[in-house]
Amino acid sequence: MATFFSLVRANFVMVLRQRAVIISSLGLAVISVLVFGYLFGDGGAAKIQLGVVDQDHSATSAQLTSQLQHNDSLAIAAGNQGDEQQALKNGKRDAVLIIPAGFGAQLAGGGAGAHLMVLYNQSNPVTAAQTKLAISAIVDGINRAAANQPGPVTLDEQGVAAKNLRNIDYVAPGMIGMLLMWANLTVAVQLVFWREQGITRRLAATPLAPIAMITGQLLARLLLSIAQEVVLIALAVWLFNIQIYGNLGLLALVIVLGAVTMLAIGFAVSSFFKKSQAANAAILLVSFPMMFLGGSYFPVNGISGVMGTIIHALPLYYLNDALRQIVNNGAGWAIIQTSVLVLAAWIIASLLVTWRAFRWQ
Amino acid sequence: MTQVELHSLSGAATPAASEIMLDVQSLVKRYGSRTAVNGVSFQVRRGEIFGLLGPNGAGKTTTLEMIEGIRTPDGGTALVGGLDIRKEKRAVQRIIGVQLQATSLFPELNVQETIQFFGAVYPKALKAKDLLALVNLSEKARAFPQDLSGGQRQRLALALALVNDPQIIFLDEPTAGLDPQSRRMLWDTVLSLRERGKTVILTTHYMDEAQVLCDRIAILDQGQIIALDTAAGLIGRLGAQSTIDCKLDGGAQASEVSELPGVTKVREANGRFVLQTRQMEPTLLALLRYATERGSALTDLQVRTPTLEDVFLDLTGRELRPEQA
Repeated sequence: MATFFSLVRANFVMVLRQRAVIISSLGLAVISVLVFGYLFGDGGAAKIQLGVVDQDHSATSAQLTSQLQHNDSLAIAAGNQGDEQQALKNGKRDAVLIIPAGFGAQLAGGGAGAHLMVLYNQSNPVTAAQTKLAISAIVDGINRAAANQPGPVTLDEQGVAAKNLRNIDYVAPGMIGMLLMWANLTVAVQLVFWREQGITRRLAATPLAPIAMITGQLLARLLLSIAQEVVLIALAVWLFNIQIYGNLGLLALVIVLGAVTMLAIGFAVSSFFKKSQAANAAILLVSFPMMFLGGSYFPVNGISGVMGTIIHALPLYYLNDALRQIVNNGAGWAIIQTSVLVLAAWIIASLLVTWRAFRWQ
Repeated sequence: MTQVELHSLSGAATPAASEIMLDVQSLVKRYGSRTAVNGVSFQVRRGEIFGLLGPNGAGKTTTLEMIEGIRTPDGGTALVGGLDIRKEKRAVQRIIGVQLQATSLFPELNVQETIQFFGAVYPKALKAKDLLALVNLSEKARAFPQDLSGGQRQRLALALALVNDPQIIFLDEPTAGLDPQSRRMLWDTVLSLRERGKTVILTTHYMDEAQVLCDRIAILDQGQIIALDTAAGLIGRLGAQSTIDCKLDGGAQASEVSELPGVTKVREANGRFVLQTRQMEPTLLALLRYATERGSALTDLQVRTPTLEDVFLDLTGRELRPEQA
């Protein structure tokens, strides 16, 4: 046990002294938070241009329109469907909400069949995502109202507040995810370096089991990741008043899961390289696009087609999604379940690859 | 990990001198169609310094690495301290110390931390401070391996080989690439290990090193031991003769010189005499007396004894180190 503690400590010192790893993980995340916080901190608060097409003309639809108008994050324009759709195409609207005829009546009759239609402007993914969040929260509010109490549609005010995201609110959880990627995928370079330099060969002449050394390295990186996240989150909360709506324990769990996912992938990657420089290049080549496609800086939920398929294969996408759900939306286990399962699948697949292909010497 | 005091290094309390510490039987290692080690057998007793001498590619390193548990033999076995390396690898590795031909270390750990790291791997370990003093590296405790000179790095590698206070120490070309002063220093340390009752197995392709350090030498060529004896025994087996080369003026005669004791052959040209002898010392004394009695001035005296280089040349018909010959 004392031996294992020494191993973890030595590995921790090693990782701590690799400035490139610290700079590319914590350094990059902190700089991003500072830039987005100070330069674009309020950018996200620009009002969403929402066109409302009221085809229902009922008391309920008037009530809904009025609620929307009172929402600080929305700028409402009312009009007919043709005009509003044209405005959406011209980029003058971020989204158009269509309240179909009979909506009020259906809602009053227990809500069966009541639905709203929303058209999004996909050209700006950030706004599109924010609009989606805003509208779905409104719909959510309507549904809850319909289910629980009779009377006029009311909005869940807390839900509305939560979706009024500044850029920094959106970016901060993305940086939590990105940090985990940069800090832990590079374990591949470390393992290949040991093998390439013959360090593992020297260790092979000692009674030290390779698995103990690898575990020591993984644990050291996990500890470093947690320490870095504490610094990053404290900074974001202190400087920019980032609200963490979700459970802190759940957040910690997802952070650990994310770190382990990246470590497992790095471990698998190390099986396929003989030169640490080549491993480094490969990790960079994967990490850099994933940093953006994984949605660390801007939302990628709305992207479809080939790009969408790629995005939905990326572990960082699911990690960021889970983190954002917890931090921004206060989501619980039910909401992040899918993301957690995908990350677990990545861990299992990576370990299988490692088990088949990894060579210590 | 318990720290033990350095003086326990000297604690080999009068062991039976004949105790076999290493018993290598018919080791074989193949790489594809090439047989790198082809049936190597030898035994090393406690307190011996045993040398594996041979050219590059002779199989020295592969032989050591099989005994150290780094490589798995394709045939044969090695009993290290009575333990079978194939069956009890970890137990063997706890009682041996290893210096590889090139030791690369963690670039992020300084010298002291590196020693502590390796110490932590064993159930018992010597203190870093004492080890650094032993290999004369105390002032470099805070330096990083990549900032050390070649000699300092070799001494660090030796310290790591000693960190678990091993009974048997394997040194693979410990002085390769070192300057003469560093080599001497390493020799002294290796000799001090024998004084402390340690058993040392080293490889080298420097015959002077083998001659100075080793109690017994196995000459390896093409994966096989072609001779095994003490340095003196190997050279003596050659039946080789020493050569005395000198200038004698005042009309010294080759016929008279050839009468001197032990002399087997004399060549003479322009007052320069080259004598072959089986008994170098009596011949040399007689030659000096002869010169004095005749009043001849004896100048440019050179005496050459045969070396392991000559032995290797004799056994294989090739130079031991052609690149440096």
